[in-house]
Amino acid sequence: MATNIPGNLKYTKEHEWALVDGSTVAIGITDFAQSALGDIVFLEVPEVGAEVKTGTTFGVVESIKSVSDLYSPVSGEVVAKNNDLESSPEKINEDAYGSWLIKVKVKNSSDLENLMSPEQYQEFCNSSH
Amino acid sequence: MTLRTQLYEEHVKLGAKIVPFAGWDMPVQYTSVKDEVLAIRNSAGVFDVSHMGEFFLEGTDAEAFADYLVTNDILSAPTGKAVYSPLCRENGTVIDDLIVYKLSPGRVLICVNASNIEKDFAWIKSKHVGFSCNLSDRSQDYSLVALQGPASFKILSTVVQDLPDLEYYSVHECGFGSKQVIVARTGYTGEDGFEIFGDHETIKSLWQKFMTLKVVPCGLAARDVLRLEVCYPLYGHELSDEVNPYDAGLGWTVKLAKPKFIGKDALAKKPVKFKLVKLLLEKGIPREGYPVLNAAREVIGAVTSGTMSVVLNKGIAFARINLDKAPADEVFLVDIRQKPYEAQLVKKPFVTGGHK
Repeated sequence: MATNIPGNLKYTKEHEWALVDGSTVAIGITDFAQSALGDIVFLEVPEVGAEVKTGTTFGVVESIKSVSDLYSPVSGEVVAKNNDLESSPEKINEDAYGSWLIKVKVKNSSDLENLMSPEQYQEFCNSSH
Repeated sequence: MTLRTQLYEEHVKLGAKIVPFAGWDMPVQYTSVKDEVLAIRNSAGVFDVSHMGEFFLEGTDAEAFADYLVTNDILSAPTGKAVYSPLCRENGTVIDDLIVYKLSPGRVLICVNASNIEKDFAWIKSKHVGFSCNLSDRSQDYSLVALQGPASFKILSTVVQDLPDLEYYSVHECGFGSKQVIVARTGYTGEDGFEIFGDHETIKSLWQKFMTLKVVPCGLAARDVLRLEVCYPLYGHELSDEVNPYDAGLGWTVKLAKPKFIGKDALAKKPVKFKLVKLLLEKGIPREGYPVLNAAREVIGAVTSGTMSVVLNKGIAFARINLDKAPADEVFLVDIRQKPYEAQLVKKPFVTGGHK
């Protein structure tokens, strides 16, 4: 499956992307994920101030027919939430990499080292699907 | 092993996402569920539903046997009509829901759910005593497509020969090329439309004809949203071996005035345990299995089918409520991931289809 995987991001096995900007990380879902889900109609993410933990669920994204958990690539405090997406979750389908869900202040920078590079993620998508 | 309909290669060519359903590899969506739903509400779309089962009753007692098998009234309906009905056991529980098509005197087609073909046929065969008609399972010989949406009549009348402006729930045999197809003005979307039965090659040509006419191919996901928007029950969800027609809001299909039918004695006592309700959520999407709560946050039932309505852009659900817990104040909440969301009890279907 041909898929769009930007070179400046890091990735999880659950198809989230992370954009690192200093000690803050913006988190979204990949183009592969939005395409697999289909029409996204609902998004639930934590409020600013909440704590998220690496590899555990921090919210859900729902398409018309399915509910999928979102897994955090890093641990830390939520410092921003993309409010636009709550009323227009279809923007994730239109532009998966332009649609960050939350921004997290990273507690432990070693979390970032465990994420996949674009090349590793490409290989992961090829081998597992 | 999973089964494939004769249109499987067509679906693959169209880029459909294929999923296993009732033992079959079926197209769940082609492009977008939303676009497919809207195509059918606004113009026309077509489904491959060849996985469904076709039984024939042929002979003098075909109508009488069908009438004895099901709860609804087959004998009173004129030839050329189709009748929706549950198929029940002696104790009143639902084996399946189906449509009986009165094709011609002494010739009846019964269309059943794919997942229940074997169960239904075994049941019907076991009751085939004392009726002068032949019973056959022709599911392997027939393909079935459903053309649905307000433009359906206009489209189909250019494709098949001499299509009459059939009444809703009527059936007629029409020519298509040199072949005959069974055309019924029925469907599972609430819109005007037709279900067309025929042999595999004929239905494949018909499907291809629809594609050249730019009819939108639609998958099972859109079909499920469409049927839930207009509040049609689905076997395995609202209907099952555990409930009777009254439990599922299908009391209107039980014709106790008929002299004799399987399940009559049990159903005459109105053994109701559940109430099927329609719930509309301003926020949150209800899903099958989510608990339904009363104002005191006690569990009173569960969602049997739930989705986001494409037309309303709101969460909609059927929920089965224990009758003894049905709240007098009509306050319902749906527990979504351990959070209660307010749900409005709705009396009419969420969406009004445009069928005749």
